[in-house]
Amino acid sequence: MFGATKDFLGKPAPPGYIAGLGRGATGFTTRSDIGPAREGPTEADIAKLQEQARRKAAEDGDDDERFQDPDNETGLFNTAPYEADDEEADQIYDAIDAKLDERRKARREAREKEEAERINKERPRIQDQFADLKRGLNTVSMEEWENLPDVGNIAGKNRKKANLRDKFAPVPDSLLPRAQEEMATSLDAQPNGLATPAPSMTNFREIGEANKSVLGLRLDRMADSASGQTTIDPKGYLTGLNSVVVKSEAEIGDLKRARLLLKSVITTNPKHAPGWIAAARLEEHAGKLTDARQIIDKGCQECPKAEDIWLEAARLNNTDNAKKILANAVKQVPQSVKIWVQAAQLETVPKAKKTVIRRALDYVPNSIKLWKTAIELEDDPNNARILLARAVELVPLSVELWIALARLETYQNAQKVLNKAREHIPTSHEIWIAAFCLQEANGKPVERLVVGAVKTLSMKESALSRDQWLDEAEKCEKNGFINTCQAIVGATISMGIEEADLKSTWMDDADGAIGRQSFGTARAIYAHALKTFPAKKSIWRRAALLEKAHGTRESLEELLVRAVKFCPHAEFLWLMGAKEKWIGGDVPGARVVLGAAFEANPNSEAIWLAAVKLEAENGEHGRAEKLLSQAREKADTMKVWMKSTVLERQLGKIPEALELLDQGLVKYPTADKLWMIRGQILTDRGDNQKARENYIKAVKFCPKSVPLWILYSRLEERAGLQTKARALLDRARLLNPKTPELWLESVRIELRGNNANFAKTQMAKALQECPSSGLLWSESVWLETRAQRKGKIVDALKKSENSVHVIVTAARLFWSDRQVEKARSWFLKAEKSDSDHGDAWAWHYKFEVEHGDEARKRDLAMRCKAAEPRHGEYWQAVAKDQKTAGKPLDEILILVAASLPSNVVA
Amino acid sequence: MSYFLPHLTNGWQVDQAILSEEDRVVILRFGTDWDPTCMQMDELLYSVAEKIKNFAVIYLVDITEVPDFNKMYELYDPCTTMFFFRNKHIMVDLGTGNNNKINWALDSKQELIDIVETVFRGARKGRGLVVSPKDYSTKYKY
Repeated sequence: MFGATKDFLGKPAPPGYIAGLGRGATGFTTRSDIGPAREGPTEADIAKLQEQARRKAAEDGDDDERFQDPDNETGLFNTAPYEADDEEADQIYDAIDAKLDERRKARREAREKEEAERINKERPRIQDQFADLKRGLNTVSMEEWENLPDVGNIAGKNRKKANLRDKFAPVPDSLLPRAQEEMATSLDAQPNGLATPAPSMTNFREIGEANKSVLGLRLDRMADSASGQTTIDPKGYLTGLNSVVVKSEAEIGDLKRARLLLKSVITTNPKHAPGWIAAARLEEHAGKLTDARQIIDKGCQECPKAEDIWLEAARLNNTDNAKKILANAVKQVPQSVKIWVQAAQLETVPKAKKTVIRRALDYVPNSIKLWKTAIELEDDPNNARILLARAVELVPLSVELWIALARLETYQNAQKVLNKAREHIPTSHEIWIAAFCLQEANGKPVERLVVGAVKTLSMKESALSRDQWLDEAEKCEKNGFINTCQAIVGATISMGIEEADLKSTWMDDADGAIGRQSFGTARAIYAHALKTFPAKKSIWRRAALLEKAHGTRESLEELLVRAVKFCPHAEFLWLMGAKEKWIGGDVPGARVVLGAAFEANPNSEAIWLAAVKLEAENGEHGRAEKLLSQAREKADTMKVWMKSTVLERQLGKIPEALELLDQGLVKYPTADKLWMIRGQILTDRGDNQKARENYIKAVKFCPKSVPLWILYSRLEERAGLQTKARALLDRARLLNPKTPELWLESVRIELRGNNANFAKTQMAKALQECPSSGLLWSESVWLETRAQRKGKIVDALKKSENSVHVIVTAARLFWSDRQVEKARSWFLKAEKSDSDHGDAWAWHYKFEVEHGDEARKRDLAMRCKAAEPRHGEYWQAVAKDQKTAGKPLDEILILVAASLPSNVVA
Repeated sequence: MSYFLPHLTNGWQVDQAILSEEDRVVILRFGTDWDPTCMQMDELLYSVAEKIKNFAVIYLVDITEVPDFNKMYELYDPCTTMFFFRNKHIMVDLGTGNNNKINWALDSKQELIDIVETVFRGARKGRGLVVSPKDYSTKYKY
């Protein structure tokens, strides 16, 4: 090739230069009609040019000869004529040349060939390198040649693609619904159900199966390659199948590592049993039971004295093999109780089990566990007794065996057994307690025995503490030995306590016992406490409550009779006794009790009132009146006066009631309830003027009585004097600041007067003054429009600290939204928050009437009865009504529920 | 403007011109200086010569003076422009059916620069054929 010349411009071409030839240029033929189809310079051209060059060279040949090498002259004699002798000479020279050539030909050719081969080997030509491949090319068909892919420039394309992969664009919305459609059809999993199955449908089931089979294959391959040979035993395979799914590749990696580690452990220290066990467990975990068995088998051979390894081997094998293994094991370690027990467990027939255990006892006669197992296996009590007798001889320090033996023996023998046991184990309280129980079971007194035992035991070093004794007492109670329990409590309850702490400690003990449902123990503690402190009202009271809650009526009555004997001034105890009698239907008995109570406490208001209530509710109004008039003389209190007037009013004796009220108010002018009753009576009669005078006087005497003010304002409101009512409430609020009831009444006045806007402003003021009043908050929720109530109730709940009013309101909101379950849960919450709030009960009842069933209603009524609610706006209105007086609570509940307004408030 | 551009006066010079450029496209205009088409083309070539000098060099060849390539490159048109890069003839798909050369006079400097740039980029990547940014097919002319 020609070298490039920089300054070629303007220079002539070298002689004989053929344009394009040196550059290797090739032409092209696009249109054969306008030019000859040929490439590059023609042969003729080249030949012509070469001829020209030769001629030119010949022309100035002298010049060439000037530079000829004188040593290599060629034409020294070529001017001389060529003659015959010259020819001969030439021939001779040629002959010599040929001869010389002939002589070394073989050697030279061999050398040349060798040389060529060597060069070929050192630097093989590319054609030679691919010669073998080239030979195969003749099989390539024409189509294959055609279909050879073009090389092309793929560098740029790849780069572009890589970039594209990293770019993310948001998915257009149109794709999402389409994808969803596809999912919906393909997840139907019933390809036959579709008339024309979509071609692009994905069959998830098949994919899942394929995945599973691939995973299984891979795991199989791994398991095979790990051990070097195919290990498929049917059992291991089946157990292995369970674990195939959970094993990830990481876990398998861990297994391999652990396997390696444990292998090194068992090779370096083959006498180390835990190593063998761990290795076997690993294989078991990996699902290769056979391997595990082999390993543990080897381990058994290496460490025959380790009982654990034998047990592991037995565990890993099936029952038959395990039996054989354990048989070997007991030969090696005959003292191992565990192995014997395991062997016995492997037997299915009781007889075989017994045989094994007896054999075991031959080897290990002092194992408690073996004895116990042997005894458990015996069905016949006689045999068991014989076994036990032998057992206690051999293992005299086992308390359990002694006690078990004692249980099986007759009373006399049992006593002997226990005495013997005590000789052997003098420090055991269990034996003593067993003895107590034995005594009690045979109807013998235990107290003295217990006292003696406690004394004996406390002399020993291992004496029980007081708490431990109490625990034992509770245990005895649980086992049905009440007397023993009481005796233990009596003997030990005051152990090691200071005189001053006695009562409080006992009370704590009793509470603890009640908490653990050990009522007998608690009763015993109270009994002992009452023996020590018979005049303590509080203990009597606690004992009575315990009896009421967990005892019989008789025991309670008996207790109360004793109680009032010791504490005749405890009204509570008297009343409780009377009530018990009454509830038990024994009205005369109750009267007797109350009569005794009068004698003991002639001035007790509570007892008087209880007596009145008893008479009034049993329809003995005459007696009640008489009792009240006596009471007014003997126990001259406001409450007595009030009850008197209420009774008169109930009986419809209005003039008498008014007379009584007047007398009462002279004595107790500050009794707002009397004033209220008077006002109500007057209002009922329609005597507004007198009623008003009554209230005017009343608020002068009792300015702090909120209900009085409200009643007064309602009176005015009913009379149509709304302004006056409003003013009255203002005055009331001045005198009783921060009273939510008064504020609520003001708001309600406005609501009743159809003054919703003003009501709202009033409510805002109210909430400012009483920000945590549930009453106001719940009312304010109802003042809101329907849409805003939800938001308001959240506020209300937060501010009012979950007051029952607000909770009920929340429940009602859910109810009005027909979210029944939620409403119910909120009602239950309200019930928990304040069970004394009657309105909550009533609303809940109304709700259940609408959405619940009979069972729920009944259940609710029962709970309400137990809770005895007394408060609540609607509740009080109904419960204190003359008509409902004396009705049971569940009926009142229904009435209140009926009196409630409709839940849906617009 | 032919007199501003270098002329190659024999086949050797043409070969040297093609061989001597390592990193630039060699643009050869075959034709005669007096031909009107060539005049147009020369005008255009001269006007862009300075702009493309970093990646292309332009030579003019009189096909009557240097007839060596007439058959080889089928130089029968009045004006033919060809591109070479490292002694390789670069073909351009112009949409005319003849990818070997531009055998008419272009009339836009930008188009010419675009073609030369495309040739340069393609040739650098080892391509023997590049696609012209503009399709000069006659079907768009009507």
